Amino acid sequence: MLVVAVSLNFALPRLMPGSPLALIAGVEVGEMTAEERAAVTADAGLDRPLVVQYLSYWKSILTLDFGYSFRQGTPIEELVLDRVPWTLLLTLTALVVSGVIGIALGAFAAWRRGGKWDVSSLAVMIALESTPQFWLGMLFIALFSVSLGWLPSFGATTAGADLTGLAWLADVAEHAVLPVLTLSILSIPAVYLSMRYSTLSVLGEDYIRTAQAKGLRPRTVMLHHVVRTALLPVTTVLALRLGWAFGGTVVIETVFSYPGLGRLMYDAVSARDYPVMQATFLVFTIAVLLANLLADSLYPRLDPRVRV
Amino acid sequence: MTTTVSTEPAPGPAGPAPVVRRGRRLRDHTTALGAVGGVIVLALVTVAVLAPVLAPYDPAERAGTPFSPPSPDHLLGTNDVGQDLLSEMIYGTRVSLTVGIVAAAAAMLIGTVVGLIGGYFPRLGAVAMRGVDVVLILPFLPLLIVLAAYLGRSIVNTVIIIAILIWAPTARVIRSQVLSLAGRDYIVAARSMGAGHAYVLWRHVLPKTMLLAIGEFVAAASGAILLESSLSFLGLGDPLQESWGSTLYWAQARGAFLTPAWKWWVLPPGLLIMLSALGFALLGYALEQRINPRLRRS
Repeated sequence: MLVVAVSLNFALPRLMPGSPLALIAGVEVGEMTAEERAAVTADAGLDRPLVVQYLSYWKSILTLDFGYSFRQGTPIEELVLDRVPWTLLLTLTALVVSGVIGIALGAFAAWRRGGKWDVSSLAVMIALESTPQFWLGMLFIALFSVSLGWLPSFGATTAGADLTGLAWLADVAEHAVLPVLTLSILSIPAVYLSMRYSTLSVLGEDYIRTAQAKGLRPRTVMLHHVVRTALLPVTTVLALRLGWAFGGTVVIETVFSYPGLGRLMYDAVSARDYPVMQATFLVFTIAVLLANLLADSLYPRLDPRVRV
Repeated sequence: MTTTVSTEPAPGPAGPAPVVRRGRRLRDHTTALGAVGGVIVLALVTVAVLAPVLAPYDPAERAGTPFSPPSPDHLLGTNDVGQDLLSEMIYGTRVSLTVGIVAAAAAMLIGTVVGLIGGYFPRLGAVAMRGVDVVLILPFLPLLIVLAAYLGRSIVNTVIIIAILIWAPTARVIRSQVLSLAGRDYIVAARSMGAGHAYVLWRHVLPKTMLLAIGEFVAAASGAILLESSLSFLGLGDPLQESWGSTLYWAQARGAFLTPAWKWWVLPPGLLIMLSALGFALLGYALEQRINPRLRRS
């Protein structure tokens, strides 16, 4: 899978119409003479046979050498590594928040299946899934930052403030609240729907009827017998959600000017800084693949029924 | 006029109302939700079709003072170059709905063809499903952005990119339906009577998957509208076709959400995006509950 993804990343700019020169080296081809063009082509290694290009592409990825950003003149891997912690902070926190809320709401809705709560929460979840995430972020800024003045709307830390220790942590937390809130709210529906579905299918199992027949209180049955089992498939959804959240940061971090990977990608696209764009895309892809791998390897440990 | 006092119970359900089964109640709600979705979609399509009649101004015209708040002349105020925001919203309906519907239709077409072939010819299907896996696993939004950056900004490219990204789930659903159809007796009978693959697919398999495909199409339209808005918001949409997303792009670029202008510049386009995505989603949800054999049981 990884091989396919990397190969795709290699192939995309070369398959697109027009000269790959503009897309790979990011130069304005139209303004150059033929000699200049040849020089840049040779420089970027585009005159070599495709197979050689492909192999050297792999080599550069395996050695974490993504080349230089020609807008900023810094090595790309440095730029990327700078941004990763911020994006991890946002996505992981949002994952925990949306996981807890989504699981609780989903289990409750399934318990009251067909009731008022179930139907209305389902409708709310469908509405949330239809909400454009960047717009929700903009509204939060208008509301919480501008109108109420509670929270900062910009960046990951207060610019210029030289904070250390706890004060720095508080500052970081303050800046992360709104982006995390936006990301979490929009992640809840997927968790909710899978938890609801999974709880419903567990509720139909024989051992639940046995537990009820023993005369256990519904609450006990729900918490000890149903939810514990129903949680299992949801862990997979959560792991997959992590990959989704990584991609979602592109718009969220743009709205909040948050210095994470998504913002890096957006800036790279706006500046036509294609090497940086490709590198961030690759990092996102690898993150998604890792999340999948994690889900696949975690699941048999949690659920002995699928162990071979 | 005679009034007959009847001792017979009124026609209809006899005796006290039977205990409504919970599943039944959910199904009624499903129908209601679907109806709401249908009304929303219909209303938006009407606005899109009647845009020239409904819009007070040409959306490209500099009709008023830049940054003016709502007034009787401009119900939603004006943007940074003095264009009427209400007219922009109304014309934006055309762009957003067109992109959503065309992209979803294209995705349905690709998905149905891949699903049909994938389900009917199992060997080929295994290969095709690997392709589906690749599309499903790649990070969605980043891939969208990379493709948009490479292909360039035009409405046709937007449609193509979105279609490329959303056909995979349809292919999966259709394939599993075709897989269960392919082994049925009447298909085997048709084959043994000498019917060709193309004939069987067209005559016997396709009609049975059409409903499913339509359900998938409606659900996909919801996603496509949201994707279009994200793309336009990031400044990667067609610069000449103002959609709701591009209105928000300019609002963001001009910092409209830092001023009171967010109420008439940021709120309406977002609500419209949400409303249209919601309309299609509700409709799709209701259709799915009816059509999908796996869900109908419960």
